[in-house]
Amino acid sequence: MAQNENRVQRDCKNLEQDLVLYYYSECDIKDRSRVETHLEGCAYCRRFLEELHLLLPLTSKQDEPNEAFWDAYSKEIHRKLVEAREKPSWWTSLLTFIHPWPVPALATALILVLGLTLTFTKGMWRSQGTPPEEMTLMEFLPVAENLEFFKAMEVLDALDLLEDVGGAKNGSA
Amino acid sequence: MEKGPPAKHGDDELVALAQKGDSNAFEDLVERYKQKAYRVAFDFTRDREEAKDLSQEAFLRAYTHLKGFNQRAGFYTWFYRILVNLCLDYRRRQARASWKSYDETTDRADERNDQTSSPDRAAMADETSRRVEAALSALPPKQRTAFLLRNHQGLSIHEIAKIMQTAEGTAKVHLHRAVMALRKSLAELI
Repeated sequence: MAQNENRVQRDCKNLEQDLVLYYYSECDIKDRSRVETHLEGCAYCRRFLEELHLLLPLTSKQDEPNEAFWDAYSKEIHRKLVEAREKPSWWTSLLTFIHPWPVPALATALILVLGLTLTFTKGMWRSQGTPPEEMTLMEFLPVAENLEFFKAMEVLDALDLLEDVGGAKNGSA
Repeated sequence: MEKGPPAKHGDDELVALAQKGDSNAFEDLVERYKQKAYRVAFDFTRDREEAKDLSQEAFLRAYTHLKGFNQRAGFYTWFYRILVNLCLDYRRRQARASWKSYDETTDRADERNDQTSSPDRAAMADETSRRVEAALSALPPKQRTAFLLRNHQGLSIHEIAKIMQTAEGTAKVHLHRAVMALRKSLAELI
């Protein structure tokens, strides 16, 4: 008997959400008929539903302000709307800051600054921008030039040697 | 003198006029919905000043974003979402702020209820109101929102789910849990 009661209460517990939705008329036809069939034979759920009918209307509290409140409300919202209309947006403020006359002056100044910066930092840019392969090449360039010099020196040495040999031959002759 | 649009204009026409810059048209919309908006905000705040400020803020936001309103949904549906979102933000801010003591709430409720004729009845109403307010405040924000939107505003589960940006099943669970929690905490009232 007690087990039977427990089983019934467990079934009712599972039906609680449907009962809440039934109270708010949020059940579909199938669920509504299932709940109604259950309610016919279950005093526990009928009591539960009665409690909802008694309790839930108590939770909604109505506030009915008087006419003076609504008058003040209308005046206040009117004032706020006027302020909102008159208050420029951030981009409008930005546009008003940029007057027509400083635009060419600002542009000229910008070009001048850019030109001067490029002129005076040219060397710096070049040294910073040179890739490592080029750097290596530039290191070897003076050595290569020296090689040419040494080659020329070798030719001159050879000429001197020939002259010496020629001089010696002439002398012996 | 500039004459406002006649009262017979529908919401869509008033919105169209307001979008063209007719400020009187928007103020007509405010007059039409101010009481409804106030009641929604009052359900969330239970405070007259806060409800007034929140509902007015919602009108201002609607006004500043009116150009972007494409009238696919009705004006009130669109406005209602703005208002409920503001109320939810308010609740979040309240939850983050220091816990409001029961005594403070009681004092405010006392100040509001000074017009009842029978002192006993007034005292009982006060007590009920206090308990309900405390029970509602104790609900988690999502449960409270689902409950207020269904029980106080009469919105459908479908609408609640849309406003709360959740599944209908989840909205049902929130509502069910809120009702069960209130039944438990307010059992003495029935």
